[in-house]
Amino acid sequence: MKALDVLRGAWRESRGSGPRLLFFIACLALGVAAITGVSGLVDAIEQALVAQSRELLGADVSIQARRPIDAKVDEFLAFDAQRERAQARETPTLVAFGQRSKLAELKAVSANFPFYGRIVLEPDGRLGEVLDEQSCAVAPELANELGARVGDELSIGGKPYRIAALVRDEPGRLDIGFTLGPRVFVTLEGLARSGLEQFGSRMRYRELYRLPSSPDERRIAQLKREVNEGIEDAAYLRIESHREAQPTVRRSLRQVESYLGLVALLSLVLGGVGVAQIVRAWVASRTQAVAVLRVLGARPREVLAMYLTHVALLALVGSSLGALAGSFAPHLVARIAADLLPSGFELSWSPLALLRGLGLGVGIALVFSTPPLTAVWRVSPARVLRTDIEPLPAPRAVAWGAAALVALGLFAAAWTQSRELTVAAGFTAALAVLAGALALGARALTRLAAHVPRERLNPYLRNGVAALARPGIGVVGATVALGFGVLVITLMALVESRLSERLRNALPTDAPSVFLLDVQPDQRESVRELATRQGAVNYSDVPVLTARLASINGVSVRDIAPGRAEAKGREQWVLMREQRITWASTLPADNRVVAGELWSDPQRLELSVEKDFAEDLGVGLGDRLAFDVQGVEIEFAVTSLRTVEWESFGINFFLMAEPGSLDHAPHSVLAAVRLEPAQEASLQRELASSAPNVTPIGVRAILEKVLAVLSKLAAAVRVLGLFTILTGLVILAGVASSSAVHRGREVALLKTLGLTRAGVVTLFGIEFALVGLVAGAIGATAAFALAWVFLERVVELGAELPWAALPAATLATALASALCGLAANLRALASRPIESLRG
Amino acid sequence: MTAVPRLECIALTRTLPSGGQALTVLDHVDLSISAGEFCAILGPSGSGKSTLLGLLAGLDRPTSGEILLDGERIDDKSEDQLSLLRRAKVGFVFQSFQLLGNLTALENVLLPLELAGVRAAPARARELLEQVGLGARTHHYPSQLSGGEQQRVALARAFGPRPSVLFADEPTGNLDAATGARILELLSELHQREQTTLVLVTHDPSIARHAQRRIHLRAGRVERIEEGVSV
Ligand SMILES: Nc1ncnc2c1ncn2[C@@H]1O[C@H](COP(=O)(O)OP(=O)(O)O)[C@@H](O)[C@H]1O
Ligand SMILES: [Mg+2]
Repeated sequence: MKALDVLRGAWRESRGSGPRLLFFIACLALGVAAITGVSGLVDAIEQALVAQSRELLGADVSIQARRPIDAKVDEFLAFDAQRERAQARETPTLVAFGQRSKLAELKAVSANFPFYGRIVLEPDGRLGEVLDEQSCAVAPELANELGARVGDELSIGGKPYRIAALVRDEPGRLDIGFTLGPRVFVTLEGLARSGLEQFGSRMRYRELYRLPSSPDERRIAQLKREVNEGIEDAAYLRIESHREAQPTVRRSLRQVESYLGLVALLSLVLGGVGVAQIVRAWVASRTQAVAVLRVLGARPREVLAMYLTHVALLALVGSSLGALAGSFAPHLVARIAADLLPSGFELSWSPLALLRGLGLGVGIALVFSTPPLTAVWRVSPARVLRTDIEPLPAPRAVAWGAAALVALGLFAAAWTQSRELTVAAGFTAALAVLAGALALGARALTRLAAHVPRERLNPYLRNGVAALARPGIGVVGATVALGFGVLVITLMALVESRLSERLRNALPTDAPSVFLLDVQPDQRESVRELATRQGAVNYSDVPVLTARLASINGVSVRDIAPGRAEAKGREQWVLMREQRITWASTLPADNRVVAGELWSDPQRLELSVEKDFAEDLGVGLGDRLAFDVQGVEIEFAVTSLRTVEWESFGINFFLMAEPGSLDHAPHSVLAAVRLEPAQEASLQRELASSAPNVTPIGVRAILEKVLAVLSKLAAAVRVLGLFTILTGLVILAGVASSSAVHRGREVALLKTLGLTRAGVVTLFGIEFALVGLVAGAIGATAAFALAWVFLERVVELGAELPWAALPAATLATALASALCGLAANLRALASRPIESLRG
Repeated sequence: MTAVPRLECIALTRTLPSGGQALTVLDHVDLSISAGEFCAILGPSGSGKSTLLGLLAGLDRPTSGEILLDGERIDDKSEDQLSLLRRAKVGFVFQSFQLLGNLTALENVLLPLELAGVRAAPARARELLEQVGLGARTHHYPSQLSGGEQQRVALARAFGPRPSVLFADEPTGNLDAATGARILELLSELHQREQTTLVLVTHDPSIARHAQRRIHLRAGRVERIEEGVSV
């Protein structure tokens, strides 16, 4: 057989089987759409985050310090000959107009600030062009409170500044949430004129660079190393690049993608199961044709190739449709739920996501079609002579090969989606076990159905039970397919609802809304008192020491860091960053020791490390970490690992030292407190006068954002759940319709025997409902069991499951099954009795 | 004969759309079959035998003409009305047996009995299966039975509700000669015992010999009618 003949044969096969093709295509299209949609959306969000963080930074690279920055820094950026530099200085200061005055945040900028993003002024204009040495631009709330308008003169540091414009919008400004006061912009020369720089204790300096060469993360890491080694007081410098902006957000985004990707894959796998069912019925209906092909001399392999080509062509059509639909997902989301996306979100097509969806769709279809197609081995050529001939046994190698192919295909798909071998292996194994359990359950129930005494049942019910009990008619396959769908849908609904409920409650009403940074040890009591007077709830404070990691087990981190894999840039960053350490005798309530024992070694200084962070650092129990505490090295031994419930938003640290170990090192105190918005403002004012070195950071906006992100995630999962349900229904309809020819004959016969149309509908409805009932019972029970294990044992949330939903899900499946089955057989149901006389 | 004929058709015509133009499959057929009669319809393949049978049994509706069953017109009834009518009065045997594959032999026989509301249906079904010699095979599925056995189950099913007319469309067409002969024997036996009117389609003259009347169809018209059992 030549390739062309194979193609021609495949084409002939597609004629005259509309519903089958439709369901086949729909099964795949839905799954592929889910996959493409998820990855397209995540890619788009990540791109948007990068673009957004460039706007927030206003530059490609920002260097920041609490003291004037050494001009030498510029030399390290000489690798980009076309670089542009802007400067900014920030300080809180009092601004006065007539008798009134107000604390404001003064920002002096060079004329080319910012490189990215736009500061919106009223009247319209560019900040650099509007401002001169004598003028300022102010936030409208400041002008309002002072009673000033554009053109009036404000007093800053005792010098006059004319208001040249109002600042309507400033990139990044809102995200800080809580600042020291409304914004005032002046030029660098204007700042010099004010004389404020002399009291520079609270001045923040920034050098901003636009780098047309667009250096990658590696180049930025090199820049940091070079600055660290080449500049004396580099410890005071903070170098940020938009590329490494929001590393945690992006890391969790990747995790979310991996999770959502697998959920989407589930929906495709479900589609694959549907495809397998459709192909099975299709091959069964083609047995005679296969026998003829065999008589004509075609070998089973060639017949298989012909049918696989057909499958591949169909799969290509289905997957293309799905990929196309899925790649519209970000656009759709942007249109109907713009607030789900970060600002600065730019729509773009991601061809890679499209290709991946296409590849996965076709791959899954081929892999899942192979086992049912091996039935061609069982067709004896002698069937052309007699229809009741025994099927041949399929070669063992073929059956095992097909099963292995499915497992391998699943594994490859899961790997593509999660990018982690262990996750992919777990996913595949779990699916295999589930499929096995479902098949066993379905088989057991069909056995049971065979023992039901049917004689006493009414004819409608009897027919349904009989259909279940009938061995080898694809009932087991259909039940497994449907049961699997029910399982996935129910499991996701259970876990999702429990998790989101948990997350809602996890953002406690007493979560801190303000953190107070840089409280000096001798201010600890007075600040606490101040906050309590403002009506603070849940005041807590801990000592904090900032230090860099010097060595691990005696090996300097400078020697370790470059050896860490390039791909894991985070691990390098984790080693090099400024570490914050606290110390206390007991753990916060939301911490749990998972390895070792807290403060158990009287001989050494001990450290307790958060588990995931320890993994990032590459350390475990017994390892020694030395920190450079302002020139003095202090070494700790890791004697316990902990987990932290970050959702509680309390004060938590990756690193916790044993009590007393660092009391005498220079440190500050971090306080967390919950306040009402009005109280926050008044605390801020009090602090500005009595403890100006304390920096309050409001996290209310962040909290609300986190909550919003969580609910968006939940929404995404729910949408994917919807996809799974749709796929489940399509499978159901597909399986039901794959036997439509056979059904049509049955309908004609039943009508001939005297059944009315309503009677036929009842009869088939009951049959489909019973299959649905069995599948629903197995699937829902398995889902409840898995959800229980997952919630109780894995995430330990406590499994208060809505048990009433178990029978509800089962009945719903039965109902859906009856409706889908009937809908898919509308044509068959319309068969006329006369057709029973035709062959 | 003055009694109302069991089955009667007047100027029965059926045209079927065939590639754009109408094909006249039956052309003004007039027939009258009396109660208890065994009537055979003969003719070459494609002459319209099955079409005629389907019309007489109310499986299909004529293009024009009238059909009367027990003096009652059935050509203008709805599909559901016809279904209810068939339950009570009509039985069928097909060339390709047409058993429901999901049901056992007993359940296949039981179905029309229950639809017709016959009391003690299971007992009657067992008795019928005994009569066709399958008393030991009641719980077998059709796929576990040979062709001849399947057709015997079909006979039991058709006679179950004691129909007034039994239609058989080439009931031996799919069977070898010996098995076919055994089926015919059973058929006439049951026909006599149950006093059923029997309308049998065949193209085999040796089968038609047993009938009291033989209606020869050719190209949708009645060619001739032979009376009396020929030996
Ligand atoms: N559904 C149909 N559409 C078109 N032509 C049909 C249909 N059913 C039967 N015919 C035609 O009607 C004629 C008579 O058919 P039929 O009654 O089945 O013949 P017989 O049973 O005598 O072999 C044949 O020529 C057949 O091709
Ligand atoms: Mg015929």
